[in-house]
Amino acid sequence: MKDMVKSCCAAAGLAVVSWLPFGGNAAKATELEVMHWLTSGGESASLGVVRRAYQDQGGGWRDAPVPGGSAARAAAVNRILGGNPPPVFLFSLGTQLTELSAHGLVTPVPGAGPEWDRVLPPLLARSAKYDGQYRGAPLNIHGENWMFYNASLLQQAGLAVPRTWAEFLDAATRLKAMGIIPIALGGQPWQERLLFNAVVLGVGGRDFYRQIYEERDPAALASATMLEAFRVFAALRPFVDEGSPGRRWNQATAMLIRGDAAFQFMGDWAKGDIKAAGLEPGVEIGCALAPAPEPAYIMVVDAFAFTQPLDEATAQAQARFVSVMMDKDVQAGLNQAKGSIPVRTDIPDDGFDTCAKQAMVLIRDPATTLASTGMGLPGGMAGALDDAISHFWNDPRMTPEQGRDLLRRSILAFR
Amino acid sequence: MKASHRAPAIALLPAGLITFVCFYLFIAWTFAISLTGSQLLPSWDFVGLLQYQRLFASARWWTALGNMVVYGALFITGCLTLGYLLAILIDRGVRAEGLYRTVFMLPLSMSFIVTGIIWQWMLNPGLGIQQAVRGLGWEEFAFNWLVRADRSIYTVALAGIWQQSGLCMALFLAGLRGVDPNIWKAARIDGIPTWRVYAAIITPMLRPVFFTASILLFSLVVKSFDLVVALTGGGPGFSSDLPARFVMEHILNRQELGLGAAGACMMLATIIAVVGPYLYAEIRQKKGA
Repeated sequence: MKDMVKSCCAAAGLAVVSWLPFGGNAAKATELEVMHWLTSGGESASLGVVRRAYQDQGGGWRDAPVPGGSAARAAAVNRILGGNPPPVFLFSLGTQLTELSAHGLVTPVPGAGPEWDRVLPPLLARSAKYDGQYRGAPLNIHGENWMFYNASLLQQAGLAVPRTWAEFLDAATRLKAMGIIPIALGGQPWQERLLFNAVVLGVGGRDFYRQIYEERDPAALASATMLEAFRVFAALRPFVDEGSPGRRWNQATAMLIRGDAAFQFMGDWAKGDIKAAGLEPGVEIGCALAPAPEPAYIMVVDAFAFTQPLDEATAQAQARFVSVMMDKDVQAGLNQAKGSIPVRTDIPDDGFDTCAKQAMVLIRDPATTLASTGMGLPGGMAGALDDAISHFWNDPRMTPEQGRDLLRRSILAFR
Repeated sequence: MKASHRAPAIALLPAGLITFVCFYLFIAWTFAISLTGSQLLPSWDFVGLLQYQRLFASARWWTALGNMVVYGALFITGCLTLGYLLAILIDRGVRAEGLYRTVFMLPLSMSFIVTGIIWQWMLNPGLGIQQAVRGLGWEEFAFNWLVRADRSIYTVALAGIWQQSGLCMALFLAGLRGVDPNIWKAARIDGIPTWRVYAAIITPMLRPVFFTASILLFSLVVKSFDLVVALTGGGPGFSSDLPARFVMEHILNRQELGLGAAGACMMLATIIAVVGPYLYAEIRQKKGA
């Protein structure tokens, strides 16, 4: 919520700046200005890999960080509309980028060619394209459906890593009886949605997930499978502690690290905090995909977008930036620093942690890759989805039938 | 036009122009946008009342609107009652009146954001009041409204009343001090008990103060945004959401400019519907008097 206030201020502030005739466009022609929100430890280290490689090639780099993803995106859009477009800016793949492309505000990625079609996972290539051309240069792939667990707590309880949601509920019951919080959940809508989508995937499988979020099939939304997903989701409510609402994801990860809680359903960025605490992901804090009948990887992708270059030097700098970023060594280095996996499927997994190795195998099979709802759905629909899930989760008076109905109405209202 | 009339007119022109452009023109623009399919960027593809249909189909919008009614009723009556009582108590001549006045006015010097964060700490079941009382030995004590979907809006009202009743107290105190001392003398001679003087004589006399305070508080209710953002973040779920937050979120974070604009227009309509008749009645009465 503080972020939100900040983002309002930042957006307003930048809107003002961009109206000034010479606001911020004092960059030397040789310097490439890069707008992004990669400011936390691991994030900034990962962009540092790109920056060093770029500077080694003799390019000038001007860093323009804006803390907070939504603030940074709003700032970039404001600058574009204000007539002072940043030549390179970080964005997310999805409908926002499509809209910018449709208005002709971003150019096709310079240097993106048939090679990309070959090395990128097909779902990713599809999401990054508009009108047959790449409009986003993907930086990394994060996975959303990870289940992190405190290995020693599970050992104490004599539990194996659950592979189905029924097993998970049994394990959670046992842990709760031992006085351990079974699920460390940050009570923010997007975190609750991560948990919900893990359940949907676990109960319905990959094809069901696609029916819901890609096809938005009204019959699937009203199906018995959806009802079952809501039943399981509701059954998880008692396994979360009272302090959950408003908690940030890294506070929840800290509960896992301290041994207060046993499981956390979170994206692989949590590995950054686990490493920062001096633990090895996959050892003390284990990682497994959330219980599901078949392997699947729900992807979130950060991507750079490019505006029409004002001069030849900028155009060259943009092209160089893309070629550096997609370089195999740079991809490996930056993703090891960030906890994500490379967007190219032709990179050896040496030096990655065990969780990332697992994911790198998974994304080679197009059948396992799924789009996160933030990437696949329009902003309004994705938001309405978060609302519905969060409302259901936080109001124990709501029955699974009511939850299913609310979700269906929320999604269909934006069709 | 006479020269003596022209100068003030010219002086007022810039202010009038700014008001017209920044206020009425932008209201018109917002309304126009609410009729389009605008998402991330404004576009002029008119879709009729589609955004309003979406708005009315949204469970969250109705929750937000319902919350505004609950919050507004509790907040306005709470502030008026508490503020009036405090003003009367101070007016009865307590010792160290200046100290009390300052203490009650202090919360007002804080922004809603700060108030929200303070109360978030106090109401957090793991940190604040609940934990403190349990620490004293009442292990079963529960005060977890902040994290209960069916109670969270009351915590917003609580924090709002805490902050704004000082303002009402100041307004009422000024009103009470303006009461003619002869009225008190007359009442004493007639042997009327004090509470009756307040109930039957003073309160009706303070009607304009009640009017001013209500309008001030009502405007705070409609635009309240920061308090909810800081205190509950609209949650749990969207159980404590308010229309202003709904609008801001859809415009800034969800790239639904059209839908946000439709929400803003409905907010304006609500204000006009509530304040309009009240204002009209008050002004007419004044003219009649």
